[in-house]
Amino acid sequence: MRPTLLIVDDHPGFRSLARKLLEAGGFEVVGEAANGHAAVATARQLQPNMVLLDIQLPDIDGFEVTARLADGEAGPVVVLTSTRDRADYGERVERSGARGFIPKAELSGAALRAFLGSDQMR
Amino acid sequence: MNPRLRLALTLAAVVAGLANVALPLRAGDDRPDSLVYLLITIIGVGWSFVGAGLVAWSRRPENRTGALMVAVGLAQLLNGLLFNGVILVREPFAFALWFLLATLPEGVLGHLIAVFPDGRATTRLQRVFIIANYAATVPLALVQLLLVEPGRLGCNECPNDILGLGGRDRYGDVVLAVSDLSLAVLTALLLWIVVTRWRHAAEPRRRSLAPVALVGIVLLIVYMTGQTLKAVLPDPPLALEVGFNLAILIALVLWPLAFLAGLARTRLDRSAVGDLAVQLGEALPPGRLEQVLARALHDPTLQLAYWLPDRDAFVDAAGRPVELPAAGGDRAVTILRHDGDPVAAMLHDATLDDDPALVRAVAATARMTIQNERLQAEVRAQLEEVRASRARIVEFGDAERRRVERNLHDGAQQRLVSISLALGIARSQVGATSEQEIAVALDDAAAELRLALAELRELARGIHPVILSEAGLGPALVSLAERSPIPVTVTAVPSERLPSRVEETAYYVASEALANAAKHAHATAVSISARRLEGELLVEVGDDGVGGADADGSGLRGLADRVAALDGQLRVHSPDGKGTRITAELPCGS
Repeated sequence: MRPTLLIVDDHPGFRSLARKLLEAGGFEVVGEAANGHAAVATARQLQPNMVLLDIQLPDIDGFEVTARLADGEAGPVVVLTSTRDRADYGERVERSGARGFIPKAELSGAALRAFLGSDQMR
Repeated sequence: MNPRLRLALTLAAVVAGLANVALPLRAGDDRPDSLVYLLITIIGVGWSFVGAGLVAWSRRPENRTGALMVAVGLAQLLNGLLFNGVILVREPFAFALWFLLATLPEGVLGHLIAVFPDGRATTRLQRVFIIANYAATVPLALVQLLLVEPGRLGCNECPNDILGLGGRDRYGDVVLAVSDLSLAVLTALLLWIVVTRWRHAAEPRRRSLAPVALVGIVLLIVYMTGQTLKAVLPDPPLALEVGFNLAILIALVLWPLAFLAGLARTRLDRSAVGDLAVQLGEALPPGRLEQVLARALHDPTLQLAYWLPDRDAFVDAAGRPVELPAAGGDRAVTILRHDGDPVAAMLHDATLDDDPALVRAVAATARMTIQNERLQAEVRAQLEEVRASRARIVEFGDAERRRVERNLHDGAQQRLVSISLALGIARSQVGATSEQEIAVALDDAAAELRLALAELRELARGIHPVILSEAGLGPALVSLAERSPIPVTVTAVPSERLPSRVEETAYYVASEALANAAKHAHATAVSISARRLEGELLVEVGDDGVGGADADGSGLRGLADRVAALDGQLRVHSPDGKGTRITAELPCGS
C-alpha cells in the first residue's frame, strides 16, 4: 500500500508541483494545508503516515506544528522542509521532534521514503 | 515715576496728615488719648504707606504695588480727615458720607495684600477676591445705612430710616449677620491666597516676601481673632476692642516698613554680582556656570540654554534641545545678546523680572564664560547629532541586508525551487509518458528560470546599479526614469563624471524620492534634475502628489543622513496637497 502524505506550505505553486512529483514518486497525497492551524486540524482528521511541513508559515511556524502533532498518540512522521538550508535553523530541527529535514530543492519521492524506512518494517 | 506726580502725592499726604491734627485742635479737642490715636493713624499708617509706596513706585514703576500702597495711605489719611471734618459740621448726611467711605482703606489694603508682590491679579481666585472685597466696602455700607438702625452701626449721628420703611429696625439683624459673615469669608479667602502664594513661591520671591508676609499674616490673624470675638461675645468689653484696634494699627504701621525691608534684601543681593565675578575668574568645569548663576540670583531653578544658529534652537550644556517657557507663566526668560544676536537664554523664576537690572548685571558679568559654554554646547550638540546619525546609518544598513535576504528568499530562491521540482517531475516522466509531456515540463522549468534571472538582476541593481559606476549619473538617472512605473522627466544631468560618492548619493536621493512619489504620494508625474553649480551638485526631485511627507520619517531621515555624510544638505518641501519637492546640495570638491 502507498504511504499517505499531507503537504503543508503557504505557496499553492509549490504544493501542486510537490503533489505531482511525490505522487509520481510513490506517495498517496491525501491532503494539503496552507497554514499551521489548518495543518494540525487536517492531520488529526486524515491521520496520514507522513506530513511534509514547510517551516515558514503565515501563522505558527513548522516547529510549533511539529510539537502540537507530537502531542497526540501515534502521530504522523513529520519531515520539515524549507527553501533555506538546514544549517540556517541550527539545532531547532533536532530538538523539534521531527523525523528529518529536506531542502525543497532536493525533494523527491525516494528521498522522502527514506525517512519512512523504520515505520514500514514494523 | 514722574517727579511732579511724586511731589504732588507727597504734598497731599503731608497736608492731609497735618490737617488731621489741626482740625480737632481747632475744634477744641486736645485730649491726649485722641491725639495719640490720630498720630498713630496719620504718621504711622498713612505716611508710612504713602512713603514706602512712593519708594516702591520709583524703583519698580512697572509694578503696581507702589501705587496701591500710596492709595492705601492716602485713603487712610483722607478718611481720618473726613471724620474730623464731619465732627465739626455735625450734619447727619455728612456722617452718612463718612460712614460710606470709612471701609475704603481696608478695601484697598485687601487688594494690595491679595496681589503682592506682583501688583496685579494673576489668578482667577485673586480677581474674584478683589471684586468681592470692593463690594464689601461702599456698596455694603450703603445697604447697612439704608436698612440698619444707625446706633447699631456705631454711627449714632447718621440719618435714620432714610427709605421711610418705618422707624422699626426690621432688617438690622439679617444685614448685620450677612455683613459679619461676608467679612469673615473674605478674610479667610485672603489668608488662603497669601498662604498658597507663599507655598508656591521660589526662593527669590520668598526672600523679598518674607518680612511682608510675616507682618501681613500677624495682621490677618489679629484681625480675624478680633472679628470672631466680636461675633461670639454679645457685649465685648471696651478694652478688648481698643486693644485689637491698637494691635491692628501697629501692625499696619509696620507693614509698609516690612515691604521696605523686603526691598532692601533684594538690594543686598547685588553684592552677589561681585562674588560672581570672583568665581568666574577661576576656570569652571562644564555645566557649573548654571549652578553659580543660580546661587548668585538665589534661584535654584535657574536654567541656562545656549543658542545654536545652525539649528535655530536653544540647547542645554549637554547639547539637548530646550523649550523656552511661554510668556505670562511662573517661568521667565532673559535672552542674552551679543551684537543683537542671541547668545544664550536664562530661564528663571518670574519674580526675578521685578529686578531686571540685577539679572542684567549678573548676565553681563558672566558674558565671557557664557560665550565659552555656548561654543562647548555647540560642539556637544554636533557630536550628539553625529552619534545619532551614525547609529541610524548602522541600523539602516542592517535593515537593508534583512530586506535583501527576504527578497532573495521570497523571489529567486522560490523560483529555483520550483525549477528543481519541475525538473524532478520531468525526470520521473522519462520512459513513463510521452515526450510531449516531458517537453511541457521542461518548458515550464525554462520559463521559471527566466523569471528567476530577471528578479536577480533587479535585486542586484537595487544593491548597486552597474550603469552608475560604468556610465555615470546621467545615464543612470535616465535608466531609472525609464524603469519607473510613473512618468518621469529628467530635465538636467551633469555632462561630466563626478566623484563616485557624490554620484551614488545623488542617484540614491533620486531613486528614494521616486519610490516615495510612487508609494506614498500617489504622484502622476515626477521631474528629476541634477545640475552642477559652483562646487556642488544640486539634485531636485519634484512630484505632483499629495504632499505632507514627514522629513523625520525613517526614509527621508536616512536620505538626510547620507547627504550629511558628504557635508551636504537635504531639504524637503512638502505642503499638504501641493506635491513634494526634495532638494539635495552635494559638495563635490572643486
